[in-house]
Amino acid sequence: MATSAVAHEAVFALRREIARIEGVLPERLEAPETARADEAGIVLRRAGIPGIAPLPTGVERLDAVLGGGLPNAALTEIHGRQTRDAGATAGFALALAGLALAHGRVAGPVLWIGTSEIFREAGMPYAPGLLSRFGIRPESLLFSRAGRLEEALWIAEEAAGLKALAAVILEMRGTAARLDLTATRRLHRRAQLSERPFLLLRQAAQPEPTAAPVRFLVASAPAAPRQILSMPLPGSIGRPAFNAAVTRSRTAMTAQFTLEWNSDERTFHERLADAPAQDTGVVVSPSADGQDHAAASGEVLAFPAAGGAAVAAAPPRQPPREEHPAHRRPRRAG
Amino acid sequence: MGLADARAMYPGAEIVEADPQADRRLLEGLADWCDRYTPLVAIDGADGLFLDISGCAHLFGGERALLEDAGRRFLQQGFDVRAGLASTPGAAWAAAHFLAPVPEELERAFGQGRPGEICPSILDEGREAEALAPLPLSALRLDPAVRAGLESVGLRTVGALLSAPRAPLARRFGAMLLVRLDQALGRVEEAVSPRLPVAPLSVERHLAEPVILMEDIERLVVLLTASLKPDLERRGEGARTLELLLFRVDGAVRRIAVGASRPLREPALVQRLFHERLAALENGLDADCGFELVRLSAALLAPFEMAQADLHGDADDGGDTLALLADRIRARLGDDALLAPVPAQSHIPERAVANLPFAKQPTRGKAVPAAAVAEAAPERPIRLFASPEPVEVMAVEVPEGPPLRFRWRRVLHQVARSEGPERIAPEWWHDRADAPTRDYFRVEDEQGRRYWLYRQGLYGASKEMPRWFMHGIFA
Repeated sequence: MATSAVAHEAVFALRREIARIEGVLPERLEAPETARADEAGIVLRRAGIPGIAPLPTGVERLDAVLGGGLPNAALTEIHGRQTRDAGATAGFALALAGLALAHGRVAGPVLWIGTSEIFREAGMPYAPGLLSRFGIRPESLLFSRAGRLEEALWIAEEAAGLKALAAVILEMRGTAARLDLTATRRLHRRAQLSERPFLLLRQAAQPEPTAAPVRFLVASAPAAPRQILSMPLPGSIGRPAFNAAVTRSRTAMTAQFTLEWNSDERTFHERLADAPAQDTGVVVSPSADGQDHAAASGEVLAFPAAGGAAVAAAPPRQPPREEHPAHRRPRRAG
Repeated sequence: MGLADARAMYPGAEIVEADPQADRRLLEGLADWCDRYTPLVAIDGADGLFLDISGCAHLFGGERALLEDAGRRFLQQGFDVRAGLASTPGAAWAAAHFLAPVPEELERAFGQGRPGEICPSILDEGREAEALAPLPLSALRLDPAVRAGLESVGLRTVGALLSAPRAPLARRFGAMLLVRLDQALGRVEEAVSPRLPVAPLSVERHLAEPVILMEDIERLVVLLTASLKPDLERRGEGARTLELLLFRVDGAVRRIAVGASRPLREPALVQRLFHERLAALENGLDADCGFELVRLSAALLAPFEMAQADLHGDADDGGDTLALLADRIRARLGDDALLAPVPAQSHIPERAVANLPFAKQPTRGKAVPAAAVAEAAPERPIRLFASPEPVEVMAVEVPEGPPLRFRWRRVLHQVARSEGPERIAPEWWHDRADAPTRDYFRVEDEQGRRYWLYRQGLYGASKEMPRWFMHGIFA
C-alpha cells in the first residue's frame, strides 16, 4: 500500500512537471475560480498568460474533445499521411484560419510559409480558390517560399510573434530533425504571446513529439452532393469534407470526425455516420415520375389558396436509381 | 615584334597572355576603391580613371594632399600610377599622361620624405594653355587620323595648334578637334559620367584601427545612421535603399545593400535590416585584415510620412511591423521570399493571380468588391501547380466527358464523381491563334480527394489527340 502511494506521488509530481513545462496547469487538481470547467469537470488554464477563450468550431462533440474549442493562441499541428492529402490538410488549416477570421478576434493578413519543396510537390496556394471557399481575400494573404527548412523556420519564428498577422501557417514535408520539441515550443510560446493561431502543416510526416497542444490527423472525405432548392443534386461535388482525427488534445481524449466546411457560414458541420450522403455516377438531373416525360402540369397554381399548402408541402417523388434512364443507359456519343 | 623574336633576344622572358577582361575587372575594382575620394568615378579607356573631386578635396587636406595620398596608396598596393589634377578633365588627362612624374621618381620622393615638391602635374586654374602648350598633340585625346593630318602640316604641339587660326582648322580637320581643344582649356564644359549613380546622402567614417567583427560593423551602422538622420529629417525623407560600403585595408571594397518597403530613418531599424543582410552573407564578410573605412549611403529616398501615435499606444501601426518583417525577410532571403498575390485581369487560371514580391506589389488595401466576385466565380482549387502535370487518362465515358480512371504521379486514381466541363478558351489576344482550349473537370476519386483536371484540345479539332493535365487540388 505504501509503495503504491509513493508511486502515485511520483507519478503526480512528474505529471505536474510535464504540465509546468507544457504551460498547462495540472488538470483536475487545481480549480482556480477564473478557470472554466466543462461538463467533464476538466479545468484548463494556461500558465502565466491570461486565458483567451477558445474558438468554437461549430461542432459540439469536437469542441468537447478540444476542451471548449480550438485553442486560439497556440500552435496547432495538422498532419497528412501523404503528400496527395495536401489539399485536404491545407483546406482544413485554412478552415481553422477562416474560423479565427470569421470570429473577428484577429485581423490582418494570413501568412503562409512553405518550403519550395512542398510548394513544388503540392502546388502553390491559389488565391482565387482561397477566396471562394474560405473567405480569405487576396490582399490579406501573404506567401513565403523558403529554399530550406531552416529559413522557413526562421521566417515562422519571426512571424509568430507579430500581432499584425491574423494567423501563420507553416507547411513542410516529411520528418525533420530541426522541427523538434524545442523548435515547436518556441513557436508555441510566441503564438501564445502574440495571441494568434499558428498552424503547423506537416505533409507525409510521422507524428513526433512536439509542443503543440492539439494535433489533427486529416484526410479527405468524399464530399456530400450540392444542395439545390430542397434536394441534393446527384453526382455533384459539394462542400469540402474532411476526415479529421484528434490525436492529441488537452483533454487527452481522441476522437474521429467527418467534418464539412460550410463556406457560407464559415463554420464546421459534422456529418454523422448514419446519414451517408453518398451518391455516385449520375451527373444529369433526374426527371420526375418515370420515363423521360415531364410531370403533368396544370395542377399547381402560381398562388395556391390557403388549403394549397398540402400541395406545396409534398415534394415531387424522387425516382429511385434503377428507374433513372441516364443510369440505365449510359450515354454514348456517336 | 613577334613572340619568337622576343624569345630569341631574351630567352628568359616571361610570357603572360593578355587578359583584357581581367584588366577591366581590376580597373573596376580600383574604381570602387577610388570611391573613398569621391562618389564620381568614371572609367577612362582601358587604363584610366577620372575622379571628379569637386567639393571633396578639403576632406583630405586640399588637392595636393589628396593627390599625394592617392599616389602613395596606389604605390603601396604595387600599382604604377600617374596622376594629374586640373580644373578640366581634358587638361587633367594631359597632365596625367605627359606631366606626371615617373613612378621611380615618385617613389624616391616619398622615400626622402618630400613628396610635396614633385607634383608638376597639378595645373592651376587659368594656366592650362600655358602648361599644355609644349605638349605633343596626343595630349588632346585626338583621333589618330586627325593627329597625323595635323602633324603632316607641321602642327606638332598644342601651342602651335593654339596659335593657328581656328576656322581653317575646323574646316579641314572637323569640329571635334576644336571641341577637344576647348575641353582641355575649359572653354567648353565636359561632363564626366560617373560609373555608379551618386547617392543623395552618404556618411562615412574613417577608422584609425580596422574593424573585423560583425558586431562592430553593426554598431558602426547605428552610428552612421544616427548621423544620417538629421539630414533625412531636414529633407522630410526616409531611405528606401541603403548601401553599406566597406573598404578593406588591402583595397577590396564590399558593397552591401538593403531595401526597405517603407522609408526608414531610425538607426535601430536600419541596424536590424543590416543584421539580417550580414547574417545571410554566404561566406561571411571576408574581413581578412579588416575594414578601414565604412560608408553608409542612402541610395534611394522617399518622402517620410509622420504618423501620430495615440496615447495608449496600441493602435494600428499602419502595417509598420509587417513592413519591417517583410524587409528583414527580404534582406536575409532575397526578394522572392515573401510574395503577395495580386489579382490580374485574365480568365486563364494561372494568369488570374500573380504572386509578386512584397516590395513590388501595387498599393494594397484598395477595396475591390471581391466578395461579389467570389459568389459569381466558378469553383477554383486551393492549390495550383506551377506547371500543369501530365496525366495519363485510361478511360473516358464519352469523348468530351470526364475521365473514369487516370494515372497521376504513377498512382492510379478511380474517379467516383466529376463535375464539368468548364471550358476555358485561350486568350487569343496574347496567345497564338491556334492555342488549344481547355476543358476543366472537377473530379473526386474514391478516397475523396478532389482534383482539377483539364483536357487540352478537342477531339477532331486537330491531328494530335487531346492530352490531359492535372492543374490543381481542391480542399
